[in-house]
Amino acid sequence: MIRINDVTKKFPTVTALQNISLTVADGEFFGLLGPNGAGKSTLMNLLIGYLDPDGGEITVGDDKVTRDNLEARKNIGLVPQSLALYDDISAQENLEIFGSFYHIEKRTLRHRIEERLRAVELYDRRKDRVSTFSGGMKRRLNLIASLLHDPSLLLCDEPTVGVDPQSRNAIFDYLEMLNCAGKTIVYTTHYMEEAERLCTRIAIIDSGTIITEGTLDDLLAKLSYEESISIIKNSSTIGKLELFRQFGTVIDDDDRFELKPNGTFRLSSFFKSVEEQGVSTRFIEMSKPTLEALFLNLTGRSLRD
Amino acid sequence: MKTVLALITKEYKLFLSDRVAMGLTFLIPIFLIAIWGSIFGSADSGPEHLGLAFLNASSAPIGRNIEKVLDTTRTFRLVKSYQDERGNQIPFDTVTIKDYVRKGNASAALVIPPDAYTDTSIGLKLKFYYDPKNEMEMRIIQGVLTQTIMSQLPGAFIEGMQRKAVRFLGLDSGTAFNTGIKSLVSRYFNIDTGKIVFPSLTDTTAASSRESKGGRDFFKNVLDFESEQLVGKNIANPMATRSVGGWAMMFLMFTLTASSVSLFEEKQSGVVLRILASPISRVQILWSKYLYNMSLGFVRLTVLFVFGSILFKIDVLSNLAGLILLLVAASMACTSFGMLLSAVSKTQSQARGLGTFLILAMSSIGGAWFPTSFMPGFIQAFSKLTLVYWSMDGFLQVLWRGAPVVDILPNLGVLVGIAAVITSVSVLQFKKGHVF
Repeated sequence: MIRINDVTKKFPTVTALQNISLTVADGEFFGLLGPNGAGKSTLMNLLIGYLDPDGGEITVGDDKVTRDNLEARKNIGLVPQSLALYDDISAQENLEIFGSFYHIEKRTLRHRIEERLRAVELYDRRKDRVSTFSGGMKRRLNLIASLLHDPSLLLCDEPTVGVDPQSRNAIFDYLEMLNCAGKTIVYTTHYMEEAERLCTRIAIIDSGTIITEGTLDDLLAKLSYEESISIIKNSSTIGKLELFRQFGTVIDDDDRFELKPNGTFRLSSFFKSVEEQGVSTRFIEMSKPTLEALFLNLTGRSLRD
Repeated sequence: MKTVLALITKEYKLFLSDRVAMGLTFLIPIFLIAIWGSIFGSADSGPEHLGLAFLNASSAPIGRNIEKVLDTTRTFRLVKSYQDERGNQIPFDTVTIKDYVRKGNASAALVIPPDAYTDTSIGLKLKFYYDPKNEMEMRIIQGVLTQTIMSQLPGAFIEGMQRKAVRFLGLDSGTAFNTGIKSLVSRYFNIDTGKIVFPSLTDTTAASSRESKGGRDFFKNVLDFESEQLVGKNIANPMATRSVGGWAMMFLMFTLTASSVSLFEEKQSGVVLRILASPISRVQILWSKYLYNMSLGFVRLTVLFVFGSILFKIDVLSNLAGLILLLVAASMACTSFGMLLSAVSKTQSQARGLGTFLILAMSSIGGAWFPTSFMPGFIQAFSKLTLVYWSMDGFLQVLWRGAPVVDILPNLGVLVGIAAVITSVSVLQFKKGHVF
């Protein structure tokens, strides 16, 4: 179990984390969702012991995580945001180097390397230089390089940045398989779709503080509406912004109006009113609320701002 | 044109963004110009206070005159005694002055022997012992020494010749000879005899203080300058043997600068973070880097000396133990230098700029390019703080002088000391997490 207790981390010009407290249970797939610069990577660096907090404490299992406590790192794997690989040597040589840091018996290491390479479909390219790999292949290799010591906790810091959909899905499948096998995973992302798909519990972080946390359902329940309405901009919607505002909060996006219904909202009266005002209902879409909407609701900003 | 201007502006913006690296690009040439200027600056400047062992065993006045002139010239600093084991200053004799040069305490010695100048001789005998460990320095010492004696003391030889003539012909015949010559010159060249002046045959003092071109030419012919090379006589390739140490150090420091830059690349790629996410401490990373670079530095230097031995006949086997110890110490010191670059720099550009600056600075003031004796006193003091100075001196001791291990202990001690101090500073920086 991970316990993050009242942790603060300051850098010379910015406070990256402010009194963060979180708990992650064993076997959980925990998501840390937030925009760039929210403090996700700093929290990961604290969890791995790369940085020491300025206040508070982090424990993983029974071990307090600090820069000097090497013992705590033995059961943690980190998938860094950057491609932490040596480009000029082969995939297999990379894995042998990174595996050697954990003093794994040679035969076991060889077996694990083969198994992990097959799992992410890189076995046939194992002897090729990493510099010849595509971005997606490098991401997959980056992932398995963190698993050679078979850690019980895996920290994934935006592991799909710049990855094609196929590789992304392969990574998701592999992570879900690992989670099913009992590994605890902490996954940071600024893609709500990733958090929604993978994570059993999610914390939303912004400007160094946790603004909310819970299961996906818990979080979405915090919104005052069950559905959101998109009205695609067209000739019939010109000058109708005030009309839409009678039914809730409206965000004027580039190509559409996003309507977040208020508490008295009735779908029937909404459609009746817009039809009377000549708005074509062909351009109206309804969708379930998302984490994006929740983030917007909580911070007034988009996740991608 | 606008596009080109935009691109140029971009280049300048990037250049100005790293102020330390930018500063170093200007600092390097300024520093080097300052060093060169201090050595070759103004026309009348030149090496000053070059140590010259000196023994005047002659009782002739000319010996005292030479000593007086050399004592006052700024080029030389005459050393007339040595310190014994008890710390007493003992005046040189003909044996100890040679030992003094052999041990490398001075590059050259000038001895005015008891029979340097006698009433019956017209020339001056001088003995010159030297150790050409640095060819440039030796040429200057010989040149300046000859020039100094020639320019200051030609009259003495005219006096000697006149005395010999007077002794041979008698005063009256000498005067008659001069008068005859005068009248011949007057007749053939139509010159008034009153304008033809010969040095007085009786007033030798005036002659000895007079300088003339004729006197200098004469001096050239009559100076018996007996030279003896005391060190390095049997070395097959003196040039290569003398210079290999300096070049080896420069080469090693440049390769280690590249290594220190690679640490930034590892940091940037995230590999350092991955390594630190495993049960490995910063100090372990540091020591592994240190030992790796040190061992590689040792191998590189060894290969360089082996090839030097094969291609240029540098004798590496006669004093192998000393050479190996020196290679290890030099590798340690150079590796520390590389680590310091990583520890104090914040960017790759800074590490490269600082590395280039320090290498060129240490090489120039450490004696890899010019003898340190050519430099102003305060720079000579600084040169002893550089690992280039102590490494080069060590290599010279081992390869040139064939010094035993005990003689290079100070060099080994200083190099290991430099390594220890610099490494401690670097480790402190690394532990603080200023680097990664």
